[in-house]
Amino acid sequence: MPESIPASLIIDTLKDTFREARAWLAAEVAAPPRHPHLGWILSVPDTHQRTVLAALDKEQAIRVLTCATEDEATTTAAGLWMGGEPCVLMIQHAGLYASVNTLRGVAIDGRVPVFYMIGLLSREKDKDPRESRHSMVRYCEPLLDTFGVPHARLEGPDDVHLIPEYFRLARERRGPAAVLVGLETI
Amino acid sequence: MLKPEDVLGAIAAARGDAICVPTMTTAPAWRTLAPDDLSVTCVGFMGGASALGLGLALACPDRRVVVFDGDGSLLMQLGSLATIAGARPRNLTHLVFKNGVYHTSGAQDIPGGLDVDFVVMAKGAGYRNAYAIKEPNDFTRRLPTMLTEEGPVLVELHTGLAEKTPMTDRGGLPFHRQAETLRTKLRGPRG
Repeated sequence: MPESIPASLIIDTLKDTFREARAWLAAEVAAPPRHPHLGWILSVPDTHQRTVLAALDKEQAIRVLTCATEDEATTTAAGLWMGGEPCVLMIQHAGLYASVNTLRGVAIDGRVPVFYMIGLLSREKDKDPRESRHSMVRYCEPLLDTFGVPHARLEGPDDVHLIPEYFRLARERRGPAAVLVGLETI
Repeated sequence: MLKPEDVLGAIAAARGDAICVPTMTTAPAWRTLAPDDLSVTCVGFMGGASALGLGLALACPDRRVVVFDGDGSLLMQLGSLATIAGARPRNLTHLVFKNGVYHTSGAQDIPGGLDVDFVVMAKGAGYRNAYAIKEPNDFTRRLPTMLTEEGPVLVELHTGLAEKTPMTDRGGLPFHRQAETLRTKLRGPRG
């Protein structure tokens, strides 16, 4: 059965992920950018991950930018990537559906490593997401499959290692990758 | 009324090391005027120029970023005005080439046509400054300021139609090549 993941665990994992990303950049360039923060969260607020977003408000090491749409979040991520800044998108499945053309044009065709954390709002605890009675839950993985976006489920605290793994995968494959947050974070 | 090619030519001469983000009908002329590696064209995701410029401006706070948006393009992601205002990038100049039509697809009127007031919208969203320019002399006089003043600033440029569109003058590098080139340039020489 899936379990909820504590916000603090996700934030610590994000910090480690950003530190690793900064280390890659430092190894690649003579003068990596010096910023007081580790990285960026681009968010269109997601009910499923609201405890993480609330805890991020108190974080100095991670900058959070709330975007009006997931299209903007994805495209802003591309600009940050060109400038050498690591970022993670925190959105909801409905936002993924709303921004499919930008996923295609920016992340896939543009070969930009965009890493998504996608909340599966309304996912039933006792059902596989692909068998959910809610279309917004049921279509998420098939849509990512259709576009060839690698994805994994965060089904509990033991799965947070998938965050840096899929962030790394996005960088290595030069395209999007996603983890799906199965239950509401706590 | 401003001529788009004249506006772009003046910007090319005055931009210094600013990153420029053209889209739609500004793209063909900019390719000729500034064939460099400090520009990235919003192509393949119409409406994204402002958000792309925002990401660049946040990543490169010591460098000016200039977006060449279109009126029809900006309408596609109008919420970006609020997102940009909220992020408060001091180095972002957001130019809107206002001609009232979707020139690339056949010059159909945009919703609201020329009555749409992007200056009011930008001010309402919270941009630090926003104003319109209609005359060439006014543009020439204010260009140095718009490239250096504290942003975010939106300038609504009242222009005629460009001589070329992405449909009549295809070409240029695909977005992924431009993005990689700009990223390499911004990272500086390898150690």
